[in-house]
Amino acid sequence: MVRRVDARPTIAPPRTLSRAGRGLHRFANPGRFLRLSGALLPWIAAPGLALTAAGLVWGLFFAPADWQQGDAVRIMYVHVPAAWLASAGYLALAGCSAASLVWRHPLADLAAAEISPVGAGFTAMCLITGSLWGKPMWGAWWVWDARLTSVLVLFFLYLGHIALVRAFDEPERGYRAGAILALVGVVNLPIIKFSVDWWNTLHQPDSITLFGAPTMSLVMLWPLLLSALGYTLVFAALVLARTRAAVMERRIRALLTARARHLEILG
Amino acid sequence: MTRKRRRLWVLLACGVGLGSATALSLSAFRSNLVFFVAPSDVAASPPPPGRSLRLGGLVEAGSVQKSVMGGQPATRFRVTDGRASVAVSYVGILPDLFREGQGVVTLGTLRPDGSFRASEVLAKHDETYMPKDVADALKRSGLWRPSEGAPPPAASWNTLAVPKQGG
Amino acid sequence: MTHLPFIAAAYAVAVLLPAGYAVAALHRLRLARRRLAALDPRGAP
Repeated sequence: MVRRVDARPTIAPPRTLSRAGRGLHRFANPGRFLRLSGALLPWIAAPGLALTAAGLVWGLFFAPADWQQGDAVRIMYVHVPAAWLASAGYLALAGCSAASLVWRHPLADLAAAEISPVGAGFTAMCLITGSLWGKPMWGAWWVWDARLTSVLVLFFLYLGHIALVRAFDEPERGYRAGAILALVGVVNLPIIKFSVDWWNTLHQPDSITLFGAPTMSLVMLWPLLLSALGYTLVFAALVLARTRAAVMERRIRALLTARARHLEILG
Repeated sequence: MTRKRRRLWVLLACGVGLGSATALSLSAFRSNLVFFVAPSDVAASPPPPGRSLRLGGLVEAGSVQKSVMGGQPATRFRVTDGRASVAVSYVGILPDLFREGQGVVTLGTLRPDGSFRASEVLAKHDETYMPKDVADALKRSGLWRPSEGAPPPAASWNTLAVPKQGG
Repeated sequence: MTHLPFIAAAYAVAVLLPAGYAVAALHRLRLARRRLAALDPRGAP
């Protein structure tokens, strides 16, 4: 099957073919990526939808109200997964950028360009739901404390990456510039994570930490974990679907270019 | 392979440089990045009167006095961080979460007599989330008094026998 | 339910925003597949 794709060099960019089969580059072959991702996509999307729906219904109707926040605590079941994915998505973007700069992995470029719009969407979701939670609880839609400000910076980093990747006539230069921006922006991730511990902030510290026990009742923790897992799978499915589309679009461009050149030679 | 290796090292070196530069500048700006100052900070180095600042801490237990001033609710309370406390006066509607023992951040100015006149009060909730029946059970059993501090760790609530209502 | 408007708005954002992304991605996939099949019937996935 691979041989069939390899035999048609006009379809894939040449550098993909010379490296295919080595390490990470096994997945750089566009034909193989399309087959693999096509088989994988339903198995990510369906559990993602089911878990998210279960988590949201549980959180909205079955989880108990908080003793002091009342029902407003239910916003946590959408806000916390969005916040977690805003950071995790950026980490994935940075990983793809490193793979792009160091190994010149061609799929990493496409994936990075598709992660940033999804990441920006989830960061916006985090900011909006946080604002809707902050107004009734804190008494303010927005405050310039270190946590909120650093997440806003993350949102702008995503927007900058989206714009930069698409700003050049030559896509390769856009991918390079975007990768550098994404890697520089990684310094913001520990700032977001530890802002609530390093500085006085209005935002409370994390309830769920890697080493400490969660400071949350189990009946609230379960729906939160469910919706976090669900949203993570939804995020992954969205990125995978968009990357599939991007790979196909690149093949379409390559085919059109080859066809135009062919006609030029004949004419 | 050597070119890839070199690119990897260049990238790592840039990362280390950028990371340490950020760490240095963050530690230099440390005091400017705080959202609020604590009462003991105010006691240690009092800001000039009239300068607007945010004062944060816990509402001292038993300090809240409510009245009405010109048709608006007026509140006097003390904000404490355990080492020092500042008297605060505020005219206006308080956020839902305001109570004794709750964290608050108030925006306002220090008056010459050392009291604080707030123009805005924000409630700061902590990272514990607890169902109402657990809170009631903890309060009833005397394990926790909300006006005096943080609740016992969450791991202990799950083993707590929650009496059914009306049971 | 207390604070209902805020909760409803937050959940609406949390459902509609990813749903919008999903619809856009599916549309883009369908379009790309169709165009690719028209250009190269053997290579289309």
